[in-house]
Amino acid sequence: MIEKIKETVKKLFKENKIDIFIGYSEGTLPLRSTPCFITEPDDIEKLVWNSYCFNNLAVYLPRFFLPQLQKKDVKLPRIGILAKGCDGRSIVGLIKEHQIPRENLYIIGIACKGMIDIKKIQNAGCKIQEVEIVAAEEKNGKVLVEDEDKKKIELEKEELLAEVCKSCQYTAPLIYDVLIGEEKRKTKEEERAAFIEEFEKKPLEERWKYFQEQVSKCIRCYACRQACPNCYCKECFAEQTKPEWIGVTDNISDIMFFQMGRIFHQAGRCIDCGACVRACPMGIDLRIFTYKLIKDVKEFFGYEAGISLEEAPPLATFKSDDKQEFITEP
Amino acid sequence: MNNPYLPIPVTIKKITIENEARDIKTFDLAFNDKKDAGKFKYTCGQFAEISMLGIGEAPIGIASSPMDEELVQFTIKKYITGVVTSALHNLCPGDMVGIRGPFGNGFPMKDFEGSNLVIVGGGFAFTTLRSLTRYVLHEKNRVRFKDITILYGARTPGELIYKSELKQWEERDDINVHLTVDRGDENWKGRVGLVPNVLREVAPSSKNSVALICGPLIMVKYTMLPLMDLGFKPEKIFFSLEMRIKCGIGKCGRCNIGPKYVCKDGPVFTYKELQGLPQEY
Amino acid sequence: MENVKLKIIKKKDVLNFLDSLKKEYNIFVPMEKNGDIRFSKFNSGEDIPWNYRNTKISPKEIFFPQTETLFSFEAGTSALSNGSRAFKPINEPKGSTPGTTNYLIFGIRPCDAQAFSLLGKLFGGDDFQDPYYIEKRKQATIISLACNKPQITCFCTSLKGKPDNEEGTDIILFDLGENILAKPITKRGEKFTENLNSWFKEAKKSDVEKKNKLMDLSLKKIRSGVNLQNIKEKLDEAFDISLWNEIHQKCLGCGICTYLCPTCYCFNITDEKDHVAGASTPSRGKRIRCWDSCMFPLFTLHASGHNPRPTYKERMRQRIMHKFNYCPENFKEIFCVGCGRCIRNCPVNLDLREVLVSLMSLGSLCKDKKI
Repeated sequence: MIEKIKETVKKLFKENKIDIFIGYSEGTLPLRSTPCFITEPDDIEKLVWNSYCFNNLAVYLPRFFLPQLQKKDVKLPRIGILAKGCDGRSIVGLIKEHQIPRENLYIIGIACKGMIDIKKIQNAGCKIQEVEIVAAEEKNGKVLVEDEDKKKIELEKEELLAEVCKSCQYTAPLIYDVLIGEEKRKTKEEERAAFIEEFEKKPLEERWKYFQEQVSKCIRCYACRQACPNCYCKECFAEQTKPEWIGVTDNISDIMFFQMGRIFHQAGRCIDCGACVRACPMGIDLRIFTYKLIKDVKEFFGYEAGISLEEAPPLATFKSDDKQEFITEP
Repeated sequence: MNNPYLPIPVTIKKITIENEARDIKTFDLAFNDKKDAGKFKYTCGQFAEISMLGIGEAPIGIASSPMDEELVQFTIKKYITGVVTSALHNLCPGDMVGIRGPFGNGFPMKDFEGSNLVIVGGGFAFTTLRSLTRYVLHEKNRVRFKDITILYGARTPGELIYKSELKQWEERDDINVHLTVDRGDENWKGRVGLVPNVLREVAPSSKNSVALICGPLIMVKYTMLPLMDLGFKPEKIFFSLEMRIKCGIGKCGRCNIGPKYVCKDGPVFTYKELQGLPQEY
Repeated sequence: MENVKLKIIKKKDVLNFLDSLKKEYNIFVPMEKNGDIRFSKFNSGEDIPWNYRNTKISPKEIFFPQTETLFSFEAGTSALSNGSRAFKPINEPKGSTPGTTNYLIFGIRPCDAQAFSLLGKLFGGDDFQDPYYIEKRKQATIISLACNKPQITCFCTSLKGKPDNEEGTDIILFDLGENILAKPITKRGEKFTENLNSWFKEAKKSDVEKKNKLMDLSLKKIRSGVNLQNIKEKLDEAFDISLWNEIHQKCLGCGICTYLCPTCYCFNITDEKDHVAGASTPSRGKRIRCWDSCMFPLFTLHASGHNPRPTYKERMRQRIMHKFNYCPENFKEIFCVGCGRCIRNCPVNLDLREVLVSLMSLGSLCKDKKI
C-alpha cells in the first residue's frame, strides 16, 4: 500500500498538482507514526503507512486557509492529503462549514484497517510504567514488541485495535480524488452504539459519578480541542474574557462546564475519529460522551456527520416545520 | 518576605475626560495609607498595575511626574475587549481601586541631563511622555535640561489629550510645542499633517539631543526614518513599548521580546537595543 | 563531600519510616492515580512504587500548583457608583501569607530535582521574589531516587544531568533491591539522616560497590542524546532562519508539553468571584494564578487585537528559544532537564530531540537561510 501511496504522491508533484502533501512518517518512539509535511519530492521516501497512523490529519487543513491569508493577490496553496475514513469524514465537515475549499484539496483516500491503541498493549502483559517497550514491529496481522529486558511478545493486531476503530463504519473516505485499497470493514449500526446503551441503563447517580470521575482528571491542556478538526474557532468560549463564561483553572465545576460545552459544540459535527481521546494525556473517557451525542443526533434528526456534502447539518438549518414549542410553551 | 502580588488600596480623587470620544480618562489616585505613598517612588516612564478586585488588573503607564507629590495619575483608555479598562471607566471619584508597582525601568533621566530633548508622541500613548515633560519643566529640574521640543499628534483635534496642559506649555517660552492632527475640523487652526512629516518640517537638531517616542507601532516605525535622517543615533532614540503584561515583575513569562521582558527590562528601550532584539512585537 | 556517611535503610522499613515523620512533615510521594503515577500526599496504606519510571506531571505542582490563590477579598459595605459593591482591599488579604508547611518530597527523580534549582532562579532573583514558590521551597526537604532504568525518552545527560545527579536534592537514594542506600548531599540532608539515626545503618563497602555498578549500567542505558554544546550561541543568530517554518508544522498548539514540563513556569493571573449560598451578588472572591502556556494561541493577545505571535511558527520558536537561548541569557541555564515527558506525551510525536538536532546541525546559521 505504501508504495502505491508514494507513487501517487510522486506523480502529483511531477505534474505540479499540489504544493504540499500531508501524510505520515516514522515516529521516534515504538508504535508511533507522526504527521509529515512534504514539499520536496525527495522527501516522499519518508512516508509510511502502518497501524500507528492514528492522528487525524484534517486538523491541519484550516490553517492553510485562514481568512487573513485569503488576500486578493495571494494564491491559496493546493494541498494533498492522505485520508483514512475518519480524516475523510472530517474533511467533509470542514468543507461544509466553509473552512477549506474542495478545489484546493487532492485527497488520496486509503481504506484503513484500523489503528492500534497503545494503552491496550499495556493490558496485554506489558506494564508500561515498569517495563518499557523499546521496539515494535508489525508483520502479517501480528505486532511483535520487544521490551527493555529483551523479552519479545507477540500480540494479535486485531485485539489491540482502538475501540473507535473496531466500530468504524466508513473506513475509507467518501469523497476522494483517488482511492487506494478496498473498503472491507463494516460494523453493524447496532453494534456501534452497544457501549452507550449499556451505560444508559445505569442509574443517574452512577452516570453522574462516572462523568465527574472522568473529567476530574482534566488538566485544561486543551489537547482534545486542539486535536479536533472541528475546533477551529479563533477564540474558544473557554478562554473568552468578555464575557467570562468559565474560569481558567482546574476547578472541577469549570472543568465540567468546559468538557460539556466543547462536547456539545460537536453535536451534529463530531465524526467519531477518536483524536480527542488519543490526545488526552490523562486518559479521560471522552468517547462515551461524544458518541452519545452522535447517537442522539441520529435518533432525533436522522443525520450522521461527515457522510454527505449535500445534506444540511440539522443544528445549523432552519425548516419552516421545525417544532416551536420550546418558544411558545417553554 | 515582601509580596509583590498584593495591591495597595488607593482612592479615586478626580476623573477627567480627556477626549471627544470620551474613552480616555485621567484618574487621580491618592493612597489610603500615607505610608504607602512614601514607598511608591517612581521615575518617568514606569508603569503600575491598576487592580480592581474581582475583575482583574491592567498595566498602565504613570502619567503624573515624580514631582507631583500628593497624587498618582493614570490616563486610561477603554478598550471594548478590555474587562478591566471597561470596569474602570464606570467608576466615580470616591471609589477605591488597588495599585501595584512601580514597575519597569523608566526613562534614564540622569542620562538626559545636559541634553536637548525631542519628545514625539502620538495619540493616547503620550501619557508617559507627559510625565517626563512635567518632570523636566518643574522649576527644580528645568535648568538641568537644554532645549525641549515636543511634537504631539492625534487623529483629530478632539483626540488630543491633556488639552489644558498643552495650552499652558504652548504659552511657556522654555519649551517648543508643535501640535498636529491627521484631520482637522472647523475649529482647528493648527497644523494638519502626520507626525513623521511634521517632524521633517520642524527638523529639530540632533546635536547633543535625545529623542523620545511613544505612539502606535506604525507611527513609531515611520518616525524612525526622519529621525535617522536628522542624524539621531540609535542609542539616542528611546521608545516605550507596549506588550501584554500580567505579573509586571518578570515571572509569568508573557511579555518577552527575546530575552528581555518588557515589564522588567523595559518598557523603555533604545532603538539600538531594539535592533539587537528579535522583531516580535 | 568525601567524608559523607552513606547509610542503608531496608526497603521494607521505608513505609514505617515515612509514617513516623507524618506529624512533623507534609510528605509527598509518587503514587498510582488513574493508571499514572503522580505526586500525592503520603498515605500510610500505599507502598512506594519503587520501579516507577517518572510521574505523569512533574513535581513542580507541589511548589507551583496548577491553581493557587494569591489572596482573597470580601465585599465591603460601601456601594460603588455603578451600583455594585466594592470589594474591600484588605490590608492583610486572607491567605496571602504563602503556606509554610514543612514539605518532604520523597522519591523524586534527579532530573526533577535539578528542575527545582532552575525554577528557584526564576522565582527568586535579585529584583522581585515570588513568595508563593520561595516560601514553600525554602523549608522543603528533597529526597530523590536515582534512576536504575532510564527510559528511551530520557536525555538528561545532554543537559548536565545523570541518573544519580545531585543538583537540587538534599538526600539521594539508591534502590539496591532489598536495601536503599542513602547519600546526604546538603547540610539539611545530613542533619536529616543524623536526626533519624535509628532508622539507618552504616552502608557496607559491598553496598557502595553495588550502587556504583547499578549507576554504571544505568548511565549506559541513556542512549538518546543531543550534543547541545554552544546551543545558546548558535541560537543567538537563529531567530530568522527558515527552519522554523518546518519545525512547527505538526504542532497542535495544546499545552501538554508545557504543563507536564518540570521547568515550564508561565502563568496567568485572574480574579474569581464567589457567591455565598443564597446570595444574589458575589460577596467574596480571590485572585488566583494558574498555569498558562506560550503554545496557546491567545497567550500574547493584546486588548487592541494585535498578537505578536499570531501563528504556530512564532509560538514554537518562542518555546525553543526561551528554553535554549533566552533563559541561558538571563539565568545562565538551559531550562530543560531532559526528562522526556514532552516527547512521550505529545499527541503528534513532535520530538524535542529531533528539533534540537536540526538546530544544532545547521552550519553557519546567520545570513544564508532567511525567511
